[in-house]
Amino acid sequence: MSYAYLFKYIIIGDTGVGKSCLLLQFTDKRFQPVHDLTIGVEFGARMITIENKPIKLQIWDTAGQESFRSITRSYYRGAAGALLVYDITRRETFNHLVSWLEDARQHANPNMTIMLVGNKCDLAHRRAVSTEEGEQFAKEHGLIFMEASAKTAQNVEEAFIKTASTIYKKIQDGVFDVSNESYGIKVGYGGIPGPSGGRDGSSSQVGGCCS
Amino acid sequence: MLEPDAHDLSDDADYAASVQQGPVSITRNDSLGRSSLNDPEGAEVVYTKDNVAIHPTQFASERISGRLKLIKQGNALSMTWLPYKGQSSNARLSEKDKNLYTIRAVQFSDIRSIRRHTPTLGWQYIIVVMSSGLAFPPLYFYNGGVREFLATIKQHVVLVRSADDANVFLVNDFENPLQRTLSSLELPRALTPMCESPTTPDPDKGELDKSSNIFQNGRRQKHHEARDISIQVLEKFSLVTRFARETTSQLFGDSQYDSYPSNDGWKNSALSPAPKRITSLDNSPQVRDEVPVAADPVEIEKLSLVWGKPRQAPLGQEEWATFLDAEGRVMDSKSLKKRIFYGGIEHNLRKEVWRFLLGYYSYESTFAEREYLISVKQLEYDTIKKQWQSISPEQAKRFTKFRERKGLIDKDVVRTDRSLSFYDGDDNPNVYLMRDILLTYSFYNFDLGYCQGMSDLLSPILYVMRDESESFWCFVQLMERLGPNFNRDQSGMHSQLFALSKLVEVLDSPLHNYFKQNDCLNYFFCFRWLLIQFKRQFEYDKTMCIWEVLWTHHLSEHLHLYVCVAILKRYRRKIIGEQMDFDTLLKFINELSGQIDLDSTLREAEALCICAGENGAACIPPGTPPSLPLEDDSSAYPQLDDEIL
Repeated sequence: MSYAYLFKYIIIGDTGVGKSCLLLQFTDKRFQPVHDLTIGVEFGARMITIENKPIKLQIWDTAGQESFRSITRSYYRGAAGALLVYDITRRETFNHLVSWLEDARQHANPNMTIMLVGNKCDLAHRRAVSTEEGEQFAKEHGLIFMEASAKTAQNVEEAFIKTASTIYKKIQDGVFDVSNESYGIKVGYGGIPGPSGGRDGSSSQVGGCCS
Repeated sequence: MLEPDAHDLSDDADYAASVQQGPVSITRNDSLGRSSLNDPEGAEVVYTKDNVAIHPTQFASERISGRLKLIKQGNALSMTWLPYKGQSSNARLSEKDKNLYTIRAVQFSDIRSIRRHTPTLGWQYIIVVMSSGLAFPPLYFYNGGVREFLATIKQHVVLVRSADDANVFLVNDFENPLQRTLSSLELPRALTPMCESPTTPDPDKGELDKSSNIFQNGRRQKHHEARDISIQVLEKFSLVTRFARETTSQLFGDSQYDSYPSNDGWKNSALSPAPKRITSLDNSPQVRDEVPVAADPVEIEKLSLVWGKPRQAPLGQEEWATFLDAEGRVMDSKSLKKRIFYGGIEHNLRKEVWRFLLGYYSYESTFAEREYLISVKQLEYDTIKKQWQSISPEQAKRFTKFRERKGLIDKDVVRTDRSLSFYDGDDNPNVYLMRDILLTYSFYNFDLGYCQGMSDLLSPILYVMRDESESFWCFVQLMERLGPNFNRDQSGMHSQLFALSKLVEVLDSPLHNYFKQNDCLNYFFCFRWLLIQFKRQFEYDKTMCIWEVLWTHHLSEHLHLYVCVAILKRYRRKIIGEQMDFDTLLKFINELSGQIDLDSTLREAEALCICAGENGAACIPPGTPPSLPLEDDSSAYPQLDDEIL
């Protein structure tokens, strides 16, 4: 299937905050409580539509443990968007956001769009981080913010798509030189009828995240 | 004429063992399909051809004749070529030579293609190319009969004539369009124009001449032109064959080949431009968009007739017993390890033998000593386990590191192999065992603690041992070697990735250059392979097999790095041809999970390891895991700061 743009996303955040589950919910529309922990990186992809333009999201789901940071950093290269995830029921995952953000700022493209996601909002009774704190943090650091639940699918779709809209808007505003792929954006041929079709002909939903 | 004999291998214990094991032992049996691969009763010889020869040197007069057979066993077809006993056309060819060339039960499932050559002048011959791209030396049919050979194969396995080349027959891989493309592109293509139309002047001839000359040190002879061309082809292969023999001979410490030119010529040839091989590519629709792919340095690689030995049946209980003396000592640990290297271990025996391989049992220990060890170690385990079990909730409140570690382990054990019935379901006691062992380990080795990936390494051990304390101690032994994989500074991983990049540089410099140009030299795409020893690359049972093979340290402590090279080489054409960048490559490698055949990969790794020899060993810095850490390390697990869990 052809696309107008391909955006590379990366999902980061502490281990066990639900990165893989958010991805699986987004790509496969299902929640899988039992899955293998992520070693290295896993991939998912899905087509979405922004302003009638087909956009392919290629999403990198990374391992969260501190020890792997030196490896994880190499995955930031060429990401247009990031989902920075914490778990609203575990305070420490919120406390670590600063260091994740430092990493991202240091190793990613400065124009990378970052969406802060407070995951597991279905577990409100165990909440350890208030919505206001999340909002405040996002505001201070110039991030978009949403609380979501990979389990109930609440706001999952929205988080990925809102990020894409923001990136798309940046393209419209001329923030990116889209011919330079280091921005994590590839231009496809979507919407323009032609013999070559899409650049990589992938189907609209590719694989899940949890292997 | 002497009686051809399948038992010309008295000096080869492996082969003798494999004959005993079954797959190559041949008995005629008319009954259908009642046998498994391990059942020697089920083998049926469906084709026999005498006077099929290999030319180990460039001189056709120096040939080794033998008997080619096709053997059917259940649904599997295999091929053997066994040299005749005691018969040699030339005194320089020793019995040892014959053993080197013997083809022992090659399964057709491991064969990619067969190229036939039926020149108008000279003998018909075939070249069998393995899935790996490695090829056997040409087999010359002195009495003709290639057609009958192929027809017989066709009765038993799917044999498809390549769309690109009528002389190439693809075996079994028709389902995979990619494989099909690759098969049809295999090296012998380069020689096709010359074989098929020997009288047509060939633009590549000069190039080939040049490279041939390197090997011949100017000893080339004049021939009739048509013959000349085909002879070049033969020489091309036979020289490779000689290389194979020399390399292998070196391995076996055999120095009887001094009369041959030194194989420096080979080293040069590896660096010199490979003969142009694209001649007929233009005809191939599948590859018209492909970027030219740098030739494999050791064009040899395809022809690299240093092939790994056939895999054997796993070590079983009865054979295991023969390795032990009356009191239970392993009499010859080296042979044992070699045996396991080539066949692995039957599952029910792993519980016993893994303890030796991992170094928990010493090979010199007796039954009684091992029994004693188990009881002592059980007590020791209980003591360490009590250290964390005795932490009260009040104490835990003031012990952040413990809470964090425990929390992380709790989270991870329920995300480890839960699709296996051994670990599935709620409140599975095995999951709790895993948690307890990991937590105990994090106290036993507090500096290293717990890191993700450890549960992947523990899972098969617990699955095999089914005992908490024994699993723990085996895991401890494994971590003695792999612990540095989990160092906070990732030093163990980086030294392996570095060694891997050096090995690829030695074994496939165009691929190395490709990675270099594309900013892929960090080899992070192999990270997961190395961190957890291919655990997620292969299915669970295959993982156990590759682990025990790696743990033998037969040939090299670092065979796992050669396994990486073997896999990368297998896909080099795709990687380079599709101009994969770092991201694409990483995704591609990730998606290879479950896609790679273990046996052929191990054989290729073995061949590469032999091929690289000391040059390969020199690529690997001392202390690179799984080597034991260097003595002078004051702390085996230096940690950079306190944040580690």
